[in-house]
Amino acid sequence: MLHDVTVRYGRRIALEAVSGEFVAGSLTAVVGANGAGKSTLLAAIAGVVRLAGGRVSCAARQRLAYLPQIAAIDRDHPLTVSELITLGGWREFGVFRSPGSALRARVAEVAETVGLAERLGRSIGEVSMGELQRALFARLILQDAAVILLDEPFAAVDPQTMSLLLDQVTRWHQEGRTVIAALHDLDVVQARFPSTLVLARRCVAWGPTEVALRAMAA
Amino acid sequence: MSAHALIVEPFQTLAFMRAALVACLALTLTNGAVGTLLVLRRMSLDGDVLGHAVMPGAAIGFLYAGPSPTWLSLGGLASGLVVAALAELITGGRARRDAGLVAFYLVALSLGVTLVAWRGSNVDVVRVLFGSVLAIDQRALLQIAASSSFIVLAIAALYRPLAVGAFDPAFLRAVGTRAPYRMVFAALVVLTLVASFQAFGTLLAVGPLLLPAAAARCWGLGVAASMALATGFGLAASVAGLLASYHGNLPSGPAIVLAAGLLFGISLVIAGAWRRLAPLIGRGDA
Repeated sequence: MLHDVTVRYGRRIALEAVSGEFVAGSLTAVVGANGAGKSTLLAAIAGVVRLAGGRVSCAARQRLAYLPQIAAIDRDHPLTVSELITLGGWREFGVFRSPGSALRARVAEVAETVGLAERLGRSIGEVSMGELQRALFARLILQDAAVILLDEPFAAVDPQTMSLLLDQVTRWHQEGRTVIAALHDLDVVQARFPSTLVLARRCVAWGPTEVALRAMAA
Repeated sequence: MSAHALIVEPFQTLAFMRAALVACLALTLTNGAVGTLLVLRRMSLDGDVLGHAVMPGAAIGFLYAGPSPTWLSLGGLASGLVVAALAELITGGRARRDAGLVAFYLVALSLGVTLVAWRGSNVDVVRVLFGSVLAIDQRALLQIAASSSFIVLAIAALYRPLAVGAFDPAFLRAVGTRAPYRMVFAALVVLTLVASFQAFGTLLAVGPLLLPAAAARCWGLGVAASMALATGFGLAASVAGLLASYHGNLPSGPAIVLAAGLLFGISLVIAGAWRRLAPLIGRGDA
C-alpha cells in the first residue's frame, strides 16, 4: 500500500504523492516515459531509497524480492553464476552460516528451470546479458518471495530468454504472488499484465491494463 | 654477495629492520583483505581520500602531545571517521562523487600540513606525510598488531555482506539487512589507514593498501583468492622494499610502495597477455 509516496534526488522530484494499493496476488506493470519514476517507485517499495514523504506499508516486507535493472549489477565482480543464484537463500544462511546441501540442490534445480545448468561454474562476467538475467531470475525463484519487484526485467535480453522469463512471471502470478514490474514494452504489458500503473512522477492511471493504457494515451 | 647476506643478514643483524618487517607483515594481512574489498567496491578514490582524512586529526594529536604514536593515531582515527561520515553525508547517493571527494582530500591534506608546520619542523611534516617504517618501536608494533588483528577479525565476521554489497548493494537492503555496512566498511578502511600511518604516513599508506589488491585483481580470481594473493603480493613487496632500501640506501616507505607498484605493472602485463593468449591455445574455456 502506497500512502503519498514522494522521493527526491537532491532538488529533483522523482516521485510525487503516489497513493494506491497493489492487491495481494496481482500482476501489475508500471509504465511511463523515461524519468517517470518507475524504477524509483520499485526502489521505494523495496526500501532501497529514502522517502522524502509518505509511507510504504507492506505486510510481506520480510518476504519481498527486488530485481534492480541489470545495469546496476557489477559484472566485473568475481562471482560465479552458482554463487549468484545461491544468494537467493540468504534468509536461510544469512551473514554467518554456510549454504547447506539442501540449498545447493535447490540451486541446481532452479538453474535447470532457467536453462543455466551448464553455466553454473561460469563467472557472471563471462555469460551473456540474457544468461545473467536468467541467473537473477533463478535467484528470485530461490528467494520464494510473496512480493516480487522487477525493474525492466526484459531489457537487453534475446526473444527466447524474454519468453522464458515471461512464463516465469506468469507462474509466479498463478502461484498467488504479487508481482510488480517496471516495463517499457506496451505490447508485452497488454498481452501479459492484467493491471497497470501509469506514472509521470505522479500517478496518471491505475487499474485494469486496457483502461489504464487508454488513460495514458489520452 | 651471497643470498644469505642479501636477504637474511639485514634482518638478522638489525633490530629496526626486524621490527619494520614484522610491522609490514601485520599490516599486509589487513591491507590484503581491506584493499581487495576497496578495489571490488570501486572505492579506490575513497581510500585515497580517507588516507588524507587522517591528516588533520593526526596533526592535532601532534600539536597536543608531540610525536606520540598513540595521540597521532587517536587524532587520525577521529578525523578519519568524521571525514568518512561527512563525505557519505554530502556525496552519498550521488552518481558523480569524485569532485566532492577530491575537495575533502585537498582540504584535509592542506589543513594537516598547516597544523603540523605551525608548531613542528619540516622533519615532523615529512614524518607525518611519509611515515618512518624503520623507526617503529615496540609500542607502535603492538598498536599495529592489535589494530590489524581487530580489522582481520571484523572482515572475517562481515565478509559475506561486504562482498555481496560490492556488486549488488540493493540486494542486501531488499532482503531486510539494515546494518549500515557501507559505513562500517569505511570505518574499517580508516582504521586500516591509521594502523599504517606510522609506517607509511598519510600520503603513502594508500599504496600498500591498494597496489597489491589492484595487482591481485588483474588475475581474475574469486574474492577470497584475490585477498590471499593481495596479501602474498604485499608480503613480497614489503620484503623486497625493505631490502632495496637497506642495500640501495633508499627511503624504506617509498621503496615498499615502488615494489608493490612493480608487482602491479607485472600483473597487468602478464595477466593481460594471458587473457589474450588463452583462447589461442585452447584454454579459454578452462
